Amino acid sequence: MIKPLITPNQNITTESALPAIEMKHLTKVFGELHAVDDLSLEIRQCEIFGLLGPNGSGKTTTINMVSGLSKPTSGEIHVMGYNLRTNMRQVRQILGAVPQETALYEELSAWDNLDFHADLFGIPRQEKKRRITEMLELVQLLDRKDSRVSTFSGGMKRRLALGRALLHNPQLIYLDEPTLGVDVQSRRAIWDYIRQLREQCKSVLITTNYLEEAEALCDRIAILDHGKLIAMDTPDALKQKLGGSVIELETAEPSQIIKMLRAMPGVKKVVQDGNQLRLTTEAGSNVVPQIINAVVKEGEIRNIAVREPNLDEIFLSLTGTDLRD
Amino acid sequence: MKTGFLYEFGVIWTCAKKDIKVALTDRIFTILGLFLPMNVLILMSLFVLAGSYAPTAVVMGENGAYAQLFYNAMSQAHSFRLQQTSPAQAQALINAGKIVAVVTIPPDFDQQIRNDQPVQVDVEINNLNTDFTNDIRRAVPLSITSFYAKAFPNLVTVVPSEHDLYLHDTDYIPYLGVSILVIALMVGALLQSGLGSAREWEGETMKELLLSPASRWSIMLGKMLGAFLVSLGSVAIVLIVLILLLGVAPVHWAAMFGLTLLTLIIFIAAGTILGTLLKRHQPVLALTFGTSIPLFFLSGAFGPISFSTPAVQVLAQIFPVYYAIVVLQYAFHNFALNTYGITGNTLVLGGYAIALVVLAAIVLRRSTIAH
Repeated sequence: MIKPLITPNQNITTESALPAIEMKHLTKVFGELHAVDDLSLEIRQCEIFGLLGPNGSGKTTTINMVSGLSKPTSGEIHVMGYNLRTNMRQVRQILGAVPQETALYEELSAWDNLDFHADLFGIPRQEKKRRITEMLELVQLLDRKDSRVSTFSGGMKRRLALGRALLHNPQLIYLDEPTLGVDVQSRRAIWDYIRQLREQCKSVLITTNYLEEAEALCDRIAILDHGKLIAMDTPDALKQKLGGSVIELETAEPSQIIKMLRAMPGVKKVVQDGNQLRLTTEAGSNVVPQIINAVVKEGEIRNIAVREPNLDEIFLSLTGTDLRD
Repeated sequence: MKTGFLYEFGVIWTCAKKDIKVALTDRIFTILGLFLPMNVLILMSLFVLAGSYAPTAVVMGENGAYAQLFYNAMSQAHSFRLQQTSPAQAQALINAGKIVAVVTIPPDFDQQIRNDQPVQVDVEINNLNTDFTNDIRRAVPLSITSFYAKAFPNLVTVVPSEHDLYLHDTDYIPYLGVSILVIALMVGALLQSGLGSAREWEGETMKELLLSPASRWSIMLGKMLGAFLVSLGSVAIVLIVLILLLGVAPVHWAAMFGLTLLTLIIFIAAGTILGTLLKRHQPVLALTFGTSIPLFFLSGAFGPISFSTPAVQVLAQIFPVYYAIVVLQYAFHNFALNTYGITGNTLVLGGYAIALVVLAAIVLRRSTIAH
């Protein structure tokens, strides 16, 4: 049971024209490596935006530049209209961060961690206790408030880090791999908290290499590879770009029908994996009945499934490679 | 949200409070920070105690007045730790390597002296260690001269006329104790602040600090204040041992406290720089121990550096350890170990403190996350 956020963002109640984050020709070079290469994108207010890509694609470097932890080699970043170069302090006031490593003080209790954060962000004494209690309630750790963080599981630490990031009521929250290494139950809970943030009209920037996570949470996705922007759109639109449906079928003799299927109008791609064939159809085409008829004529269909393409397949089609770890 | 000076002061105290809490929660860290300077003190004191006087057995062939006078002359030579034994015991002790020398006063010592005849005092030396061997070689003739000066004052016509610069002599332990205080301050402060900073990077919690709207100055000052306050614990322990147990009481109490705190600030700032640059606790540990011991020996820990070679003097004056020893020797013993005066030396230390604090802030300001 997820508890509602008690302190809604009262500053922004409707989607505004001002972008939450605006990156223009952002580049970060380490030696000869272009970790981020001429990246330009806009993240709207009240949206959950996903930066997707394999490890080393430039997601964390981008997020570090947005939060001011790392200076861009060139390019501009504006956060809620503030130029990051000249208004770093204002940006940090409105930014809540959940870094990949959680960055919690393991020797301190959950309460002490939040208390320290509250003082760092100048939350007034009279509000502090109430807000810490609310956040611990939100992430369901109030009963463990006095326990040392070192005794927490990975999922509990992630939840606490999320509670800490929300403590000062930021307008923009970034979450770097928010469910990396957490169990399924905690993952679902974290997803629910993130969805609540959208209801509060908070802007959320997520980096992830879990495609399922990006599909489940994000309004829009940018796919990065080798520091470059490969694609950016809603998950549905990206699927549309790949094509129509994906048909997975299993037959006794796939090699006999593969040539015929590849020649069939409306079929974009056919990949064989043992007795299984995966067909990608062109957008808007409805070739499923023809495929079934054609396959039945040549033999028997043991199994058939029709589904939408997933982001793995989109990534593969865009980059020519699988999502690498 | 709060802003301005009040907010920044709040951040300084918040960071300090957090670091104190973390340091006290981490037992290994506390033990290292509080008791390691004590260990340095004990270790160095043992080193001094073990190495001060040469253990020597005296075989008294007779106990006549002159023989006794010679024994007294030896005991006042500031070189021997004497024990009277039988010839067999003395031989056993020197064979076992427990004593440096056996001095045998012959049975006819008094009679030969009275008859104005030469007397041979046998000295058997375990010359395993040059330092002790030379002590014996110097001290036995000195004892003979002292003996003659007391037994036959009219025969010894050349006598020294000593004028002391200070009212009283300072023993080896009181002098070295002050130097040990400086090294204990250095090791304790470098460890406390260095490990405190390195831990922020190692645990990635530096991100939490750097992502806050607080200025890096406030964060750095807060971290230094935390390390400073925790280090005060180890300073108190070392001072208690030095003053109450070793009996090394300062002549200038206020100067002693002030200069101790100034020295502490210097090494707290140096440790913060070290931890921020190295970002790992292992290299901080290695560098702390690796630099503190050579600096201790270089900076006039055992005696005024002005007695040393010009090259060593120039080298010593590069490091704040030298000035810290100079000012604290003044505070404890009223010594003037160089020509800069207490004000000059204190100003140099103050300059180091300001420079290192500013440098620590610059280092933290320029630090970025690796990605």
